[in-house]
Amino acid sequence: MRYAGVTLMILLSAACSKGPKQVAEVVAMERAGLPANPTDAAWEEAPEHLAKLVPQDQVEPRVLTPTTGEVRVRALTNGNEVAFRLEWVDDSKSDKPGPTKMIDACAIQIPARIEKDLPEPQMGQEGKPVQVTYWRADWQSTIDGRGDTIRDLYPNASIDHYPHEAKPLAPGSDAQKEMALRYSPARALGNMRGGPRSVPVEDLVANGPGTLAPGPSLGAKGKGAHQKGGWSVVISRKIPEGLAPNQKTHIAFAVWQGSQRESGARKMRTGWITLSRRSGS
Amino acid sequence: MARVYNWQLGREMSYWYPESRPQRQFAAVFDTNKCIACQTCTLACKTTWTSGKGQEYMLWNNVETKPYGSYPLAYDLKLLDMLNGQSWAGNKYEGQTIFESAPAGERVLGWRPEEQDYAYPNVGEDDCANQVDSGAFLNLPHMNWFFYLARICNHCTYPACLASCPRGSIYKRPEDGIVLVDQGRCRGYQECVRGCPYKKVFFNPMTGTSEKCIACFPKIEQGIQPQCFVNCIGKIRLAGYLSRPDQVRPDNPLDYLVHIKKIALPLFPQFGLEPNVYYIPPIHAPVSFNQQLFGPGAGEAMKAYRNAANDPDLASLLCLFGSTEMMVSRFRRTGDVVAGSDDKGAELVRVPMREPVYVRPAVDPKNQLVRINCP
Ligand code: SF4
Ligand code: SF4
Repeated sequence: MRYAGVTLMILLSAACSKGPKQVAEVVAMERAGLPANPTDAAWEEAPEHLAKLVPQDQVEPRVLTPTTGEVRVRALTNGNEVAFRLEWVDDSKSDKPGPTKMIDACAIQIPARIEKDLPEPQMGQEGKPVQVTYWRADWQSTIDGRGDTIRDLYPNASIDHYPHEAKPLAPGSDAQKEMALRYSPARALGNMRGGPRSVPVEDLVANGPGTLAPGPSLGAKGKGAHQKGGWSVVISRKIPEGLAPNQKTHIAFAVWQGSQRESGARKMRTGWITLSRRSGS
Repeated sequence: MARVYNWQLGREMSYWYPESRPQRQFAAVFDTNKCIACQTCTLACKTTWTSGKGQEYMLWNNVETKPYGSYPLAYDLKLLDMLNGQSWAGNKYEGQTIFESAPAGERVLGWRPEEQDYAYPNVGEDDCANQVDSGAFLNLPHMNWFFYLARICNHCTYPACLASCPRGSIYKRPEDGIVLVDQGRCRGYQECVRGCPYKKVFFNPMTGTSEKCIACFPKIEQGIQPQCFVNCIGKIRLAGYLSRPDQVRPDNPLDYLVHIKKIALPLFPQFGLEPNVYYIPPIHAPVSFNQQLFGPGAGEAMKAYRNAANDPDLASLLCLFGSTEMMVSRFRRTGDVVAGSDDKGAELVRVPMREPVYVRPAVDPKNQLVRINCP
């Protein structure tokens, strides 16, 4: 008997030293500084939650065949902000927008308020909004230095003439920029799905499927890297209101694989998962 | 899905939203018999609307040679192949529309073109239906055929682009039925690109949103026809407003051509969108081909067009095509002259049905010169 107990302990400690500590909920460990980079060693301080993904099959267009199986999540907080690292397997990097090309992306979703009755896990519901922080691979590539020309997407493209870059418009002048906007209606309206940006993420709010809209700024930041056959993405934002030490709220995740032609409603997602805040000691 | 009435199919059908027709519907008639594929329309549109970054490949207006041309590649054949059994019983469609045959989990029966499918806008240009055997081209009429099909967005009554968008970023204007993508709301999912059977929504990789023909609405709002209409060299196009079949006004040029003479027909009515660009079918192409493109009325429409010379009202109206920049709401023939007026009755244009013929002798003794005939 005594020997069996010792063997069990040895086995357990071996298991611990091999893989990260797994937890059944997402635990945001308190820490003074938050890592911006997905490869930062600080992530080792946080336990890992393995979130199973299911197809979005509630509203059309639905996903009928599962793609990405799971997302591995770690979380850290400094009390003001909370940062998450999401990792999933995707051996094809899809970061170039184009006709009928979809882009790799991920998102976190947190109820706007901590309350007993949770909003619908899929995009919230009327009167029960959810806050969504969304990261996209093409935005990351823009941040990482990709230029804002068609040749950055199609190196062999040949262009005869753009009216908004023609003489007498001086390159970079206000008049030239104003003219360029006339040929980019979405940008003119401030709908920056493409083009220059300062962060690869955006703050959104939703009150149900199909209602996703820009939300009040939660100071979203992010950084993603494609490595070892998958994505590793950091998303950080203001800590959810009311998430005091040892308190709980909920979180859900979504992952899109461009190579699987996923975008918008065509995504893999989780239901609500408990998100708790815990001090390191 | 809701039940709606589609008069082009002669029956009710399923659609994603309940029936909600605009106060009036922007519509157009294109006479395929007059198109010369000069592509002036294509360039008029291109230079006006799609000269920006990310719009390089877009042709909101394109002109393809049938039977082999298509843009994007095989847009029509792919869907015709997916949509089985498109049979008609008289004027009633017995097959399924793209809404009725939507697979599980989808809003419409659609498909996504590959990037390369946009690389051949001129594929099949001027290729005729069959091999021209040696010497055959010397015979008239030619045994083989082709024709030009000019295409813009159809500003459909039941748009598949609109039905496909899961976030309602596409809307149909209640005042004129023009279908627009809200550039402030679109998130670039490209569901509309997938859903539109005519492939008339295009994704802009530089703005990350989908864009489409806007029917030159700033011009329409002033009663002026769109760019591709007023620049058309062949004068094949006429823009206006089409009434519902139960509210036809015989002096409305579009009502007259579509509802009364039934000479102008929708493109692929079997898809079920009630498209609002109507085509006078090419009279030299086989009726079976025209029926596949334009529905069961193609044979009668070809006959009516052939007979236009004996049908003064129809002939007079055909003379109004390309005669004025303004949108003609009413037409009236008096003798050999046709007049077009706006919706308040003010005359816009007056066109003689026959131009005078001047014969100049080959030798001009006064100026001491010999004239040479130029074809
Ligand atoms: S401008 Fe007119 S004639 Fe020329 S290709 Fe276009 S529709 Fe045909
Ligand atoms: S033709 Fe296509 S893009 Fe135009 S309204 Fe119809 S479905 Fe929409």
